[in-house]
Amino acid sequence: MPSSSSSFLNPHISSMNPPVRLMASCTTPCSLRTRFALRFLKTLVKIKRSSPPPPSSSSNSSPEKTRRRTQRIKRAAYSSMARAVGRRRAWSQALMLKLKFSVKRTNQHPSLSPTKMGGPQKAPRKAGGRILVIKRKNSLVKGSPWRGCSGVDELRRLVPGGESMGLGVLLEETAHFVRCLETQVSVMRSIADCFPC
Amino acid sequence: MSSRRSHSRQSGSSRITEDQIADLVSKLQRLIPELRNRHSDKVSASKVLQETCNYIRSLHKEVDDLSERLSELLASLETDSDQAAIIRSLLM
Repeated sequence: MPSSSSSFLNPHISSMNPPVRLMASCTTPCSLRTRFALRFLKTLVKIKRSSPPPPSSSSNSSPEKTRRRTQRIKRAAYSSMARAVGRRRAWSQALMLKLKFSVKRTNQHPSLSPTKMGGPQKAPRKAGGRILVIKRKNSLVKGSPWRGCSGVDELRRLVPGGESMGLGVLLEETAHFVRCLETQVSVMRSIADCFPC
Repeated sequence: MSSRRSHSRQSGSSRITEDQIADLVSKLQRLIPELRNRHSDKVSASKVLQETCNYIRSLHKEVDDLSERLSELLASLETDSDQAAIIRSLLM
């Protein structure tokens, strides 16, 4: 899997200003960072177009609208990253499923905790809602020191699809998941830095 | 990295050894900023897992904050500004 260290590819990247840096980091067409950044930016443009700020008001939108837009952006970030990774990883598959179901959930299962907004569900947070309950395969022998380790259970909740993974797979998926989250944060920050505030 | 672990599925009986687990845990430890500098023998596996969970949560929080920031920026963005031109050129 190609690593996504833009500073490695372009040593002068730290001396560039943010917009150029963002573009310079996209020199490798197939890098995960680039694929994520492009998807995310396209979705941002879509979000921007569908919620145009009213020209006359001083505060551009109600807090409600801002919150909704924030949720859409957050959801777009996770969705873009999961799609950029694709089906190569168990966590990205699980995340894409979770996001897909979390949109339909508002229509089909009103009995499940409805959001106050009634719009698309929030982007999956750490624990998220478990849509599919899969029996966990305990791949380790009895008496293993990992058996009662609560850190593992918590990690299973944090990593998408972690509930049904064996420990070895879980640790691998976690490593990849963490790297991708870092990339996601880095790209989002670069985009935000493009705009002087 | 480690060719010991093949990429075949972990279905059914998976005889993953403690060594392989320790290997994966140390790989994870190198990713976590807090634990990166410490020697691996001084950091217990449960500490690595704990710090990993904390790190993931902090990354989620950063995503939240950045989403909010981007939301405000999108609201205030003029359609014909330089920034919009940069974004557009990126997407071409």
